Amino acid sequence: MSRDTRRNDFTRRDFLATAAKGAGALGLVVFGGGFAFVSANTVKSRTGETIGPFEYDPTKHEYLYLIDVSKCIGCGSCVRACERENDVPRHYFRTLVERYHVSRHGRVYADSPNGGRDGFDAKDIDADITKSFFVPKLCNHCTNTPCAQLCPVGASFVSPEGLVLVDEERCIGCSYCVQACPYGSRFIHPVTHTASKCTLCCHRLSKGLTTACVQNCPTGARRLGDSKAVGDEVVEIIATSNVRLLKPELHTEPKCYYVNCSQEVR
Amino acid sequence: MEHTKHIWRISLLLLLVLIGAVLGRHFLIPDSFGKAGFYRYDALVELMGKEPVHGAPDSCADCHDEKALAKAAGLHRSVQCEVCHDVLSSHIRDDDKYADMAINRSYKLCAYCHQKLVARPAAMVQVDIAEHLELAPGDAIPAEACLECHDSENIHAP
Repeated sequence: MSRDTRRNDFTRRDFLATAAKGAGALGLVVFGGGFAFVSANTVKSRTGETIGPFEYDPTKHEYLYLIDVSKCIGCGSCVRACERENDVPRHYFRTLVERYHVSRHGRVYADSPNGGRDGFDAKDIDADITKSFFVPKLCNHCTNTPCAQLCPVGASFVSPEGLVLVDEERCIGCSYCVQACPYGSRFIHPVTHTASKCTLCCHRLSKGLTTACVQNCPTGARRLGDSKAVGDEVVEIIATSNVRLLKPELHTEPKCYYVNCSQEVR
Repeated sequence: MEHTKHIWRISLLLLLVLIGAVLGRHFLIPDSFGKAGFYRYDALVELMGKEPVHGAPDSCADCHDEKALAKAAGLHRSVQCEVCHDVLSSHIRDDDKYADMAINRSYKLCAYCHQKLVARPAAMVQVDIAEHLELAPGDAIPAEACLECHDSENIHAP
């Protein structure tokens, strides 16, 4: 009898409830306190040497990209520059140039032979082509990234200045992000088997240079702006001109703006 | 107390789990993870720290000021040197000449911008190269077709 009463003092239910609370508290301590292990040491590269310190402060920039479709001559200089600057493997592209031919009846013939890297040849289309133009494309560095937010290992991330980047060391090559990107800006690198994409030449930006594609564009069709800089021309153009985004209906809030861009471009 | 043993067992088990979790986090999570967000901050610094391959827009003028001045006055002023030549880092390393700059004399360089295309803006100077050379259909364009007449010196300052 006495045994039963003693038991009722602390039932199985009570035990489980207490245990659950204890486990919860422990969990908080372990995972909340986890950041205590994050040290603020000097930065080491994969090969072991110390990098930096940089004078560049990422939080003082927010880059915007402006593409004037009417100025693009489809020379592919940007694609070749990007390939050389970022060691992009053949037949993969961090940026590319598309060519559009639109017929009178609204039929769209779009092509991009080898991303426009080797230029374009004349194309015979058996239709009444009423407008045609070149459209450079690259990663839109979305504010609302579909790609970085689903990375299961924290390899895809958004930098303080709003660039969408990939940590090659952490990337496991699951390619979720490649499938998630509505603009097709990502690919799995054939050698490293990790996700690869436009970094907006952040290694050049950090040294006060502009991106390889912008620098090598002979007509100024591609321009880079910084919304945190005072009196930035590109920000002014975006504020005052008839600009459009690609796939705005997805609410990804891209940072690449297009001027003089026909609605056939998606 | 008859349950003392159980309490000790569960405490020990929890302690082991705790140690395991702490050690696991310590070894599995990179040092700079979480410093600025759900990512390894060092990755950002590694990416930012890469050496540029192309130079700055005025890098070439440091040594080749004559060519740069001629080009700045010419029609090709908006075309960066590295568009037609190779990248700066193939030529200069640690502020010294590393190798000769590759010079590409192919007609293809000219064709990238000047081959006549429907999609190209009308204001761009364009020419149908095969027609311009009066080639028979099917004939290949000679490799240096453009520079044979359009002198390479003039390319810098037409």
